[in-house]
Amino acid sequence: MKSWKISGSPHKGQAAGGATGGIAARSSSADGNFDAMSKQQAAAISGPRKQHSALQGYSPLRYMPPSRSASNDSNALLKQSRRSSHSNNRPTGGANAGHSASTTSFTTDGSGKYFQDLDEDWSAVIDDYNMPIPVYLNGGSAGTADSLSRASTHSYPQLPNLTGTGSGSRGTPGPAVVPETRTPTEIAQERDVQELNSMMARITKFNALLSSKHILNVKELRQLSWNGIPKPNRPKVWKLLIGYLPANTKRHESFLQRKRKEYRDGITHTFDEQNHQRDIPTWHQIEIDLPRTNPSIPLYQFKSVQHSLQKILYLWAIRHPASGYVQGINDLVTPFYQIFLTEYLPASQIDEVANRDPAMYMSEEQTVQLEADTFWCLTKLLEQITDNYIHGQPGILKQVKNLSQLVKRIDADLYDHFTNEHVEFIQFAFRWMNCLLMREFEMDVVIRMWDTYLAETSQDSSVGGATTGASAGADLSAPTTPAQRTVSTFQTPPSKIRTEATVGASPSSPLSVRSFSATTAVTKTTASGAGSDDASGTRQSSSLNEFHVFVCAAFLIKWSDQLCGMDFQEIITFLQNPPTKDWRESDIEMLLSEAYIWQSLYKDATSHWL
Amino acid sequence: MLQFKLVLLGDSSVGKSSIVHRFVKDTFDELRESTIGAAFLSQTIKVESEDQQEVVIKFEIWDTAGQERYKSLAPMYYRNANAALVVYDVTQEDSLNKAKAWVEELKNKVGDEDLVIFLVGNKVDLCEGSDNEDKRAVAATLAKQYAEDQGLMFDEVSAKTGHGVKEVFQAIGQRLYDTKKEELATRQRGNGNDGQVDINVPRPSTNDTTGCCS
Ligand SMILES: Nc1nc2c(ncn2[C@@H]2O[C@H](COP(=O)(O)OP(=O)(O)OP(=O)(O)O)[C@@H](O)[C@H]2O)c(=O)[nH]1
Ligand SMILES: [Mg+2]
Repeated sequence: MKSWKISGSPHKGQAAGGATGGIAARSSSADGNFDAMSKQQAAAISGPRKQHSALQGYSPLRYMPPSRSASNDSNALLKQSRRSSHSNNRPTGGANAGHSASTTSFTTDGSGKYFQDLDEDWSAVIDDYNMPIPVYLNGGSAGTADSLSRASTHSYPQLPNLTGTGSGSRGTPGPAVVPETRTPTEIAQERDVQELNSMMARITKFNALLSSKHILNVKELRQLSWNGIPKPNRPKVWKLLIGYLPANTKRHESFLQRKRKEYRDGITHTFDEQNHQRDIPTWHQIEIDLPRTNPSIPLYQFKSVQHSLQKILYLWAIRHPASGYVQGINDLVTPFYQIFLTEYLPASQIDEVANRDPAMYMSEEQTVQLEADTFWCLTKLLEQITDNYIHGQPGILKQVKNLSQLVKRIDADLYDHFTNEHVEFIQFAFRWMNCLLMREFEMDVVIRMWDTYLAETSQDSSVGGATTGASAGADLSAPTTPAQRTVSTFQTPPSKIRTEATVGASPSSPLSVRSFSATTAVTKTTASGAGSDDASGTRQSSSLNEFHVFVCAAFLIKWSDQLCGMDFQEIITFLQNPPTKDWRESDIEMLLSEAYIWQSLYKDATSHWL
Repeated sequence: MLQFKLVLLGDSSVGKSSIVHRFVKDTFDELRESTIGAAFLSQTIKVESEDQQEVVIKFEIWDTAGQERYKSLAPMYYRNANAALVVYDVTQEDSLNKAKAWVEELKNKVGDEDLVIFLVGNKVDLCEGSDNEDKRAVAATLAKQYAEDQGLMFDEVSAKTGHGVKEVFQAIGQRLYDTKKEELATRQRGNGNDGQVDINVPRPSTNDTTGCCS
C-alpha cells in the first residue's frame, strides 16, 4: 500500500476485498448498501474532493444544516452518520430502506434520543451558528473515489461537497445521478490515472516545499503532512514536524552535525564506566523489554537494532529522571527508528526495511547518525507528553478522564452501557494513552497515523522543556491552553451556506437541501496567522494529547453498535483486542478525520480539560 | 457456577501474562509484549464438592503490569479480588523481594480475611537438569519457608512447559470453594438444585456487578 495515499477510495477497498462496497459505490447511486456508504464516507470524509463529482450531480454526502440547537443536532448528525457508516456489511433492503432509515432516525432521534445535554459545562458550542454542520448521511454514490486528486492544496480533513438532492423525504434514492455512461473498468482506469497524478502532484508539492533554499514553510508542511507524507519524504518531514530540524535549511548540515556529536558524546560519557554508574534496574528493564517490542516485526529481533534502541532508551531515561524509562516508551521509539532507517536504504528497498538487518547495510558512522536522530526526535515527542510517564502518570489519567467525558457527550448510549456493565474507561484506555494507540494497530497504520500526529505536535518546545525539567507531581500542563481550533473557512460563499442553513432549519423541510457545487472544506485554523517558517506558538503543547483523546473517542465510538450488545467481559475482551488487523491507511485516515471533526465541534469542551 | 476474581501481581517479566495464557489458552509465546495497565481474561474450572458434585468455577482474571511505574494502578485490580497470584522468577533473585512486597501490600490493603494468596515461582524449566542448576537464583525451600510463615499457598511452575500451572488454579479454586461453601450452603438450599451449583459468590465479581454470570 502506498504510504503517501491521502484518502481511502472505493476501488482500493475493492482491491482489498471489499468488493461490494467498491462496486456499489462506484456504479450505483444509492443502493442502500451500508458498506458502500461507509466506504463512500471514508473517502468523502478523509479526502478532498474532486470538483467534477459535484458537477455530475453526485452527492455522497447530504448536508443537514443545524436547526434550533446547533450543537445538539450536529452531535446527532455526526453520531447518526457514524452509526450508519459502521454498521458492518449489513445488507439492507435497498435504497429506500437504507435511506429513509437514516433520515428517520435523524429527524426523530436526532435531538431526543442521542442528546441529553444537561451538563452546561460541557456544551459543544459551534462558534458560528451560520456554519453548516456537515452530515454524512447515506453516502450514496460514485465520485468520492477520486477524492485523491484534490490533494495538493488542502491539508486538513476536507468535508465533501455539501451537495444534496432534496429527494430524501420523497423516498427516491438520495443522490440523484446523472446516468453513468462509462463502464466500471473505464472508471477504474480513470481513477487509477487520477490517483497516480495525484500522487505525483503530492510528491512534487512536498519536494517543492522541502527544496526551499532558505526557510522552509513549516506551517504549510504541517498542513500538507496532516493527510499523509510520501514515503521518500517522510524521514526529513518527520524531523521537521517534530521540531528537530530547524526550518532554516542552511542550518541543517551544521545542526545535524552538532546534534549527532552531542549524542555521541552523551553515549560515550554514559557508557564510560568511570564517569557513570550504571542504573542497573533501568538498564535491566529496557533489556527485557526490547526482545518483546514489536515481536511480530523481524527488524526488532536483530541484535544490532536492539543494541541501538537500548542505548537510545537508556540515555533518554537517565537524562529524564522525573520520568525514567517507562514501558511504552520502547514502543514509541520504534516508528522514528524504522522511518529514519529508510534513509539508508535505496529507494527501491524502502519497503524491506522491516525485514533487513541494518548491520548488513549500515556503517558504524551511519548507525550513530541514525541513533542520534532517533534519540532527539524521541526526546522531542516525549517532551510533549511528559506527564504521561512521570510518577503517577497524571497525563494518562487525565486523558482517560477526558475520554470518558467526551464519550459521555458524544455517545451517551455507549457511555451508559459501560456504566451499567461497570466497565471503567481506565480498564481499556490506559494502554491507548500510554502507547498512543500503537498497540492497537499494525506498524504501517501507525506510521501513517504519525504523519498526522507529528503534524499536530507543537513546536513550542519551551513549554515541553520546562515540563521535562520540572519535578514529578506538579501540574505541568497548567500553563498551556487548548489549541484553538475552529470549523471555518468553508470555501463556499458564506451566503450560500446561510441559505442552506435557513432552509434546513425550517422544520417543514428538513431534508430539502439544495445542491451547490463549490468545494467545501474544514480548514483548520490555528491561533496565529503564523509566519511561514516558525510555527512556534501557533499550536499549544497540549495539542497532541488533546487530539489523541479525540482519536481515541472516534476509535471507541466506531464500535459502539457492537459494544452496546456486549457484557462486561465481552467489552473488555473486544477492546483489548480490537479487530484492526486488516486496517489500511484509508481506515486510519477516516478515523483521524472523524477525530478532527469531533475536535472541531467540541473544541469548547477541551477548555475544561487540564 | 461460581465466579471468583483473581489478580496477578509480580515484577515485570516474571511471566504473569505467560502463566495466564498457559492457563486460559494453553499456549506459550516466547515473545509477548509487556502488559500496559492490565489485561483481562477469564477461564472456568471444575472443583468437587464434598458430596462429589461438580462445581463450575469461573475465574475472572486481571493480569497487571509489573513495572514499578504502574504500581499505583494495582489497587484498582486487587481491591475486590478473591485470590491473588503473586509471581516471581526463580532465576531472578530480586523478583522474590518484589513478590514479598506485594504480599505485604495485599495483607495491609485488602481487608478480606479470606483472600487467598498463592506465591508462584515461575520459569523452573530454565533450571531443570544438572547443567542448569546454577541458573536458579531462588531456592525452592527458601520461598516455601517464607510462604509457610506468611500463610500463603506456594508452588513452582513453568509457563513455558505448562508444568504446574493448571494445578495452581485448581488449588485456588478448591480453596476458594472450601472457604465459601458455608455461605454457599445456605444459599444452595434456596435453589432448586439440578446437580449444579448456580449462584453468585457473595464477593463482588470483577466489575462489582451482582448480575448473573451465565
Ligand atoms: N523459560 C521460560 N520463559 C518464560 C516463562 N514464562 C515467561 N517466560 C518469558 O519471560 C518473558 C516475560 O514474560 P511475560 O509473561 O510477558 O511477563 P510478565 O510478568 O507478564 O511481564 P509484564 O507484563 O512486563 O509485567 C517472556 O519473554 C516469556 O517468554 C517460563 O515459564 N519459562
Ligand atoms: Mg504481562
